[in-house]
Amino acid sequence: MLAIEYFEVECPEAKGAEYYKQIANDVLLDHNLLKVIDRLHIFIDPKVPIFVATGTLKSITSRVRVRDFANVNPQEGKMTLVISEEAYLAPMLKIFWQHFGKEHVEQPDRFTVILYDVKEDPKVIEDLIVADPSESLFKDLIYAFKCIAPEGFRLRKEKYGEGRFSFVASENTLPEDVDDLVAQKFALLGVKV
Amino acid sequence: MTLVPVTYKGGIYQHDIVTDLIEDLGGYIVQKHVLAQEVVLQCFVPRDDIDLIREISRPLFGEVTDSPLVGTEIAIVSPSLEIHHLPHPSCDIAEYTRRLGAKSNMVGMARGVGKRIAMINDEERDVINEHDIAVFGLGNFEHCIEYKMPNLRRGIEVPIVLCGGPDKEALQKIVDPPVDGYVGNVGRFMHRTKESEELGKLDEIIAEITRVLEKRREEIAKDPLSVAPARLMNLIREKVPAINEVTSPTPLTVQMKGLRVKLPYDTFADAVRKVEIEDGITIGDVSEVLPSRMRDYILVRVKPFSETNVVV
Repeated sequence: MLAIEYFEVECPEAKGAEYYKQIANDVLLDHNLLKVIDRLHIFIDPKVPIFVATGTLKSITSRVRVRDFANVNPQEGKMTLVISEEAYLAPMLKIFWQHFGKEHVEQPDRFTVILYDVKEDPKVIEDLIVADPSESLFKDLIYAFKCIAPEGFRLRKEKYGEGRFSFVASENTLPEDVDDLVAQKFALLGVKV
Repeated sequence: MTLVPVTYKGGIYQHDIVTDLIEDLGGYIVQKHVLAQEVVLQCFVPRDDIDLIREISRPLFGEVTDSPLVGTEIAIVSPSLEIHHLPHPSCDIAEYTRRLGAKSNMVGMARGVGKRIAMINDEERDVINEHDIAVFGLGNFEHCIEYKMPNLRRGIEVPIVLCGGPDKEALQKIVDPPVDGYVGNVGRFMHRTKESEELGKLDEIIAEITRVLEKRREEIAKDPLSVAPARLMNLIREKVPAINEVTSPTPLTVQMKGLRVKLPYDTFADAVRKVEIEDGITIGDVSEVLPSRMRDYILVRVKPFSETNVVV
């Protein structure tokens, strides 16, 4: 919970607010999202019923490069990559196949990839960008908030961009003035929409 | 002779001494689990003979503990089978009741979610009514529980224990008409119950279930069943050999007032009805053999003494 600068759950039922704070914390922690959210305000009113989550994001610059999870060892006629984390192995192989062709890329086991007859400088290979986590961040955020929101709330409206996001959900048709409500909640975070 | 539900835990070595003893004393073994070098028996034994079983199993390092939930089938009802309610807390509760000897089934409703939109359908209602007790695991808001509970309990005749986020007192205040048991401060949460405080809550749920079941047992005792369901279990196992081919963990599930036989109704119902208990009295004479709403299983409902005028 420390990673988020401002984290509040607003609800007419004090006990409900307490539980939802715990749920939000658990889900964001499980989905590894606490480190990307800067400020978060959740508003729930079971009487309406409506669930509004507004938040700002930390700027993420961390693109994943080959050197972040692999060691490149140039040898004669080949280059051996020792992988320490498998998470980005698939996108990396895809990029190698595109760049060098399948016949030059071999993967003898889970943690080793060998490139044959590659003229590129090992430094260039180390710097190749494999993945950009911020691309899937929106999807991850929405998925997480779907888990946090009460389950019957299936009518949703999400917005994402300019370093902030909002998520509104209800089981009834969303009211027309829902944007005003979102703006009010953003104001609590010190953000003017 | 009063039979009480107990759990026996001990080593696998010479455990047949204990199983034979229980059967000789007139008890019934409801479930037997062999886990590596350990055996867990869930059984009904005569109250006066518990000390004898303790005595005889002492050299085998056996342990006899009370487990009030043995011989009951419990429905853990959750508003849906989505990640919001599973695996925590619904599965945690189901698992905990299972450890204490109950056979628990999860019932996830198709449309139990939300406030206004929450409802129960006839299949869910009938499946829940086939159990001994239904434990409802609802959410965190008083307002929602108050609004949706009348819809969710429509047509349910078995005792209900309600678990929800608000305090027990608040639950008692909002649920109208009242249900049989309440456990507060156990609403929706998204982490595993492993801290002592949370395990304490699970114990509280068990205590509440036990209390409600005890009350039900007392009611049954006023008009006793014509035959003990655990006895039918042994008979069916002997006389309908097809049950031994069934791969589900409990092919015969003992309930307080009956038995679930996990064989197809159309093929085996008559065979079950014709099983003789004693002196020409068959299962069909002292109980109703009905098709279950759970798959194509058979449900045996033992009739009380007042209806049959026999106790075997």
